[in-house]
Amino acid sequence: MAGIVVVESLTKRFGRVVAVDDLSFSLEAGTITGFLGPNGAGKTTTLRMLLGLARPTHGRALVFGKPYARLRRPPLLVGAVLEATGFHPGRSGRDHLRMLGRSIGIPDARADEVLRLVELDGAAKRLVKGYSLGMRQRLGLASALLGDPELLVLDEPTNGLDPEGVRWLRDFLRATAQGGKTVLISSHGLAEVAQTVNRVLIINHGRLVVESTLEELTSSPDGSVCTRSTQPQRLLHALRAERLEVTEASDGALAVQGATPERIGAIACAAGIPLSELVGQASSLEGAFLRLTSEVAS
Amino acid sequence: MIGLMRAESLKIRSTRTTLGLLAGMTALVVLVVVLTGVFAKSSDLIGTSNQLSLLSYGSFAIVFAGLAGVLLVTSEYRYGTIRPTLLFNPSRARVLIAKLVASFLAGIIFSVVAEGAGLIAGLLILTARGLPLTLSGGDIGLLIGGTIAGTALWAALGVGLGSLIRNQVGALIVLLSWIFVVEPLVFAFVPSVGRWFPGQAVNALTGLASAHLLAPAAAAAVLVLWASSLAVAGNALMARTDVS
Repeated sequence: MAGIVVVESLTKRFGRVVAVDDLSFSLEAGTITGFLGPNGAGKTTTLRMLLGLARPTHGRALVFGKPYARLRRPPLLVGAVLEATGFHPGRSGRDHLRMLGRSIGIPDARADEVLRLVELDGAAKRLVKGYSLGMRQRLGLASALLGDPELLVLDEPTNGLDPEGVRWLRDFLRATAQGGKTVLISSHGLAEVAQTVNRVLIINHGRLVVESTLEELTSSPDGSVCTRSTQPQRLLHALRAERLEVTEASDGALAVQGATPERIGAIACAAGIPLSELVGQASSLEGAFLRLTSEVAS
Repeated sequence: MIGLMRAESLKIRSTRTTLGLLAGMTALVVLVVVLTGVFAKSSDLIGTSNQLSLLSYGSFAIVFAGLAGVLLVTSEYRYGTIRPTLLFNPSRARVLIAKLVASFLAGIIFSVVAEGAGLIAGLLILTARGLPLTLSGGDIGLLIGGTIAGTALWAALGVGLGSLIRNQVGALIVLLSWIFVVEPLVFAFVPSVGRWFPGQAVNALTGLASAHLLAPAAAAAVLVLWASSLAVAGNALMARTDVS
């Protein structure tokens, strides 16, 4: 069976910067895929090309076998939320949905239906400028649901959501997938989506780093330990002095290979370096993500 | 396509900006007509050309309709609504055509409101001062028809300009400085060039008497050409440009 989404050798250059570099993957029906990578990895650029908003420099992205722009009434097949900022502040949430719906002949009543679905019906007539960030995320989701699509594409949907909002979104997406729909959800962190997705694509510097199921990723004998310190450079040197393989993430976290948390703690203690975080095998998922997406420190 | 036009029309109506533009326009037209009509000497309000200019202040509508047209495109980029708009309708050319049609129709409403208010205020002042109307029915017909056509085309012209200069502030500055600085200056000093400009074309369309203005039919053609050239250029640019 052909994938619902097929991305082939997708490349996007902005001048000399290669934002997306020869990326290929496909999505099967009924899967929830996490599209992961650090900020700037090329996730949003990939999604923009997938949705016909940006033109690939090379390669192609197909949804339901066609480039997005060739789909007839695409919102009936693909629902997408790219950012929580695509609203006119002086327009009500309901008018926003009606305006989008009318453009492809979706009746106004459907706008009220999706507003109930995302639990925004109480704020339907209020202007978007009075909406919280979480409400805007849900309004974006409502617009993606207008056409009752088979595929949902969500770009960083948990950004700015409070824990309750994240939980609400997770439950919502699970219910959606149980209904046989396909979901592609991008995030800069694995933790945000680990409980939602069953498959992950990890990209870094525009290239595909890992494509696997969540189980494969967690069961891989990775054994890396994630640690943080208020003095990351000193810790890095202390660990390297012990001939450990250490990779450094942009936020200062270190992923250490081939050592137990006990040994790392002892090394840090001996060097007098305070640790603020030390997480072992239990969250090797995060360690794997960190290792796969961080720069190899030189 | 009809659905897309309905959507664009709802876009114009569903924010208070349009209402604000209509209110500001009407207030300005009435104010200028009243000030002119009250303070002008009676002898100055008898002549047909002076009466025509008193009753033609409704053509201020071109500024406001042009602004509405510019805003219909540039607010999409300013607030990012261009993303959902294009996700729902990936053909940028169709979106642009729908905006041109919707703004053209909005321009008709702008002009009817403005010219209606200006005409009523002007006629009331002439009546109150006991001055006879020296304009013919044909003059007034041309004034009304020209204002409506000119304003509708200016709204479409605003859409074309907005699609070329998608930065909202930039587009508004270009539009306003064109209307209030560039055109008046060029027309004053080099009328043979200035008369081909879209603002002067509206003056010609409404029948304002000037040796330098084009004939009304030619002015209509010039306006259509301006609006369509900007739209074609904007369409070419939008087709090539990625949406972030």
